[in-house]
Amino acid sequence: MKFRNKGFRRFGVGFILSWSLIPIYWVINTSFQTDAQISDTPSHLLPPTPGWANYKALLIGDGELPSLVRRSVINIFIECIAATAITVILASLAAYAFARMEFKGRKFFLFVVVMTMAFPTYTTLIPMYRIMAMLHLVNTYLGIILCYVSGFLPLATWILFSYMQSLPAAIEEAGSVDGASRMQVFRLIVLPLTMPAIASTAVITFLFAWAQFIFPLVLASDQSTQPLTVIVAAIQGRHVVPYSLLSTAGVIALSVPAVIALLTNRFIVSGLINGSVK
Amino acid sequence: MLQAIKVSKGTKGAAIALSVASALGVSSLGAPAKAATPVTISVVLAAPPLPAAMLAEFTKATGITVKWTQLDWDSLQTKIAAAATANTYFADATDVDWSRVGQLGKLNWFLPMEKYIDTKALAADMPQLSSFSKNGHVVGIPYDASFMVTTVNKVLFAKAGITKLPTTIDQYTKDLNTIKAKNIVQYPLNIPFAAAEGLSTYWYETTGAFGGNILDATGKPLFTDPKSAGYKAAAWMVNAVKTGLVPPGNINVADSQGQQTLMAKGKSASTFSDYSGNVGSLYDVPASSSVVHQVQYLATPGVTGTAANLGNPDGIGIPAKAKNPEAAAKFISWFTDGKNMADFAGANGISRTWVGYFFPSRLSGIAILNKKGSIIGGDVLAGMLTNSAAVFPQGAPAWYPEFSSAVYTNLHAAAAGTMTVEAAIKAMGAVATKLSSGK
Repeated sequence: MKFRNKGFRRFGVGFILSWSLIPIYWVINTSFQTDAQISDTPSHLLPPTPGWANYKALLIGDGELPSLVRRSVINIFIECIAATAITVILASLAAYAFARMEFKGRKFFLFVVVMTMAFPTYTTLIPMYRIMAMLHLVNTYLGIILCYVSGFLPLATWILFSYMQSLPAAIEEAGSVDGASRMQVFRLIVLPLTMPAIASTAVITFLFAWAQFIFPLVLASDQSTQPLTVIVAAIQGRHVVPYSLLSTAGVIALSVPAVIALLTNRFIVSGLINGSVK
Repeated sequence: MLQAIKVSKGTKGAAIALSVASALGVSSLGAPAKAATPVTISVVLAAPPLPAAMLAEFTKATGITVKWTQLDWDSLQTKIAAAATANTYFADATDVDWSRVGQLGKLNWFLPMEKYIDTKALAADMPQLSSFSKNGHVVGIPYDASFMVTTVNKVLFAKAGITKLPTTIDQYTKDLNTIKAKNIVQYPLNIPFAAAEGLSTYWYETTGAFGGNILDATGKPLFTDPKSAGYKAAAWMVNAVKTGLVPPGNINVADSQGQQTLMAKGKSASTFSDYSGNVGSLYDVPASSSVVHQVQYLATPGVTGTAANLGNPDGIGIPAKAKNPEAAAKFISWFTDGKNMADFAGANGISRTWVGYFFPSRLSGIAILNKKGSIIGGDVLAGMLTNSAAVFPQGAPAWYPEFSSAVYTNLHAAAAGTMTVEAAIKAMGAVATKLSSGK
C-alpha cells in the first residue's frame, strides 16, 4: 500500500512537472532552430544545429526589431520595479493602518480593499483607460505603473496585513512607551520585523507586473512605453508567423521571472501562505 | 489578542485617503502629454514600419511626421475597441479590416473617409473599395489587395501526370485524388481546420467557388439548404479530411501555419484558399521554402469554370477621436498612392520595399509592377484582382465577428468529427438568423 502511494505520488509529481515544463522546453528548443528546421517532419527533439542566431537577431544590431526589443526590455524593468516599489510602500502603510490603528470603518475599508481582488481585471480596463486619458497619463510610465499599483495593492495589503497581525503588539507598545512616534514605531520596529513578508510581497508583485499584457497594450500607445510582453505579441506578422523569433522572444520574456522564481521560491510560498490565512 | 493603538483623526484620515486613493490608482502626478508638434501623427498598424527613406520623403513633402507603431492584428483590434469604447484617442490612422467594416461603420468609431478623400474618383482604380463602404460611408481605404487565391504545386501535379491544371472544382478534386492515389504526397490538400478566422475565410472562398454567397442582403443565411453553395462547400471541405486529402493533424493548423509548414515544404500540393502574394513572399523564398519556383497561382476552379476570388483586403482609416484627421488623411492619400504602393511591393529596389507587403490595392500600382516585371505572377494576380468580389456584396454585417466565430467553431467541430456537417450548418445558420434579426 505504501509503495502504491509512493508510486502514485511520483506519477502525480511527474505528470504535473511534464505538463508544466514540456511546453517551456519546446519553446526553448524552437528558439535554437531555424524556421526551416521548425517545420521539418518529424520535429526535432533537440536543435539540429543549435546557435544563437535568433537571440542575436532580436537583441543585437541596429535594425528595427532589436531596438524595439531592447527598448521594451528597459520599459518592462522600469514599469515592474516602480510598480513593485510603490505597491510595497503603500501596502505596508495601508496594512499597518488596518492591523494596528483604530478608526471608524476599519473593517469595512479592509473588506472593500480585499473585495476588489474578486473583480475580473477586464472590468476595470475601460474605466482605468478613461481615468488615465483624463489625467493625460496614457502612454506614460506613470499611467501604466499606477494601473499596476491599483491592481496589485489589494493582494499586497492583505499579505502584509496578515503578517503584521501575527506580530506581537507588545514590542510596538514598548517602543511607544520609550517615546517613539507612530511613524518611528512603524519604521524602526514594524518594518524590520515585516521584512520577510515585504520580500514575499515584492517578489509576487514583480512577477504579476511582469506578466501583464492587456493593460500595457491599451495604455501604451507606442514603443516608448510598451513592455516586452506587448512586443512579443507584435512580432507575429499578419500573414506570416516567424515561429523561431516568436519563441526566442518568449524565452527572453520568461527568463527573468523564471530566474526570480527559482531564486526566491521560499519568499513566494511564504507570501502566498500569509495571504491565504489570517 | 492584539490591542489596537489609538491614533489621531488626522493620521487616520491620511491613512484612509492614502489607501483608497492608491487602490484607485488615481494621482495628480505627471505633466499633461502634449504632441511635440501639431503635425506629428500616430499610425498604428499590424505591420512593420514603412521604409525610413519613404517616410522621410513624405515628411519633407508635407511637413507631417509619422510615428509608426506595430502591433499584432488581434491586439490591435482589442486596442481599437478599447479606445473607441473609452472615447479616447490612441492613433490618427489605424487598421480597418474588411471584416470589421460593418461593425465599425455602425458604431461610428471611424471618420467617413469621403469627407477627406475623393473616394468616388478612387473607385475605378481600387476594385476593393466597395468592401469598405457601409451605409453610404467609406470607413477605410484598402492599402493591401489581399484576396483569396488557389495555389498549386505544379511539380507535384506534373509528377502525378496532370499536365492541364484544373478549371473546375470537380476536376480539381479529381486531380487531388490522383496525386494521393499515386502517392506523390500523402495529403495533397491544405485546409486549415483550426478554429480561427482563416477557416471562415477558406469556407467563404470555397462557397464562392461553388457559385454562391454566404448571406443575403438582409443578412439571412444562404447556406442552410443542402443544395446551396455554402452547404456544398462545407461538405466538400469536411469530406476532404475524411477521405484523407487533408492531413488529420490540420484540425489544429491555422492558415499561415499550413502555408508555411505544408505548402512551403512540398507536403501539400495545393491550398484552395491561399493568400495572394504568397508565391513571391513565401513559396519562392529559399530561406522559408523547399518548393522555390514550383508553386503558382491558379484561377479559382468553380462549378463550370473559373470563379471569382473573394477579397479580404487590409485597409486604413481615421479613428473618430484622431487628433489630426486632416494630416492623417494626407498620409492615407500618400500611403495608398499607386506609385508608392508599387514601391512598397518592390518596384524600385529593396530600400523602398516594405517588408511583408503583398500587393497594391490600386490597378495603377499593379500596372507599374507588371511593367517593371517585379512581381511574381503579376499578370495573373492583376486579372484576379480586377475580377475579385467582396465576401459580402452588401458589406460585412456589424455582427460579423460573432458570425465568423460560429462559422469556424462549427466547421472545426465537423472536421474533428464531433458533429455532422448538417448539424454544423444548422448551428451556423441559426446564429446568422438570430444576429440578422437583431435578437
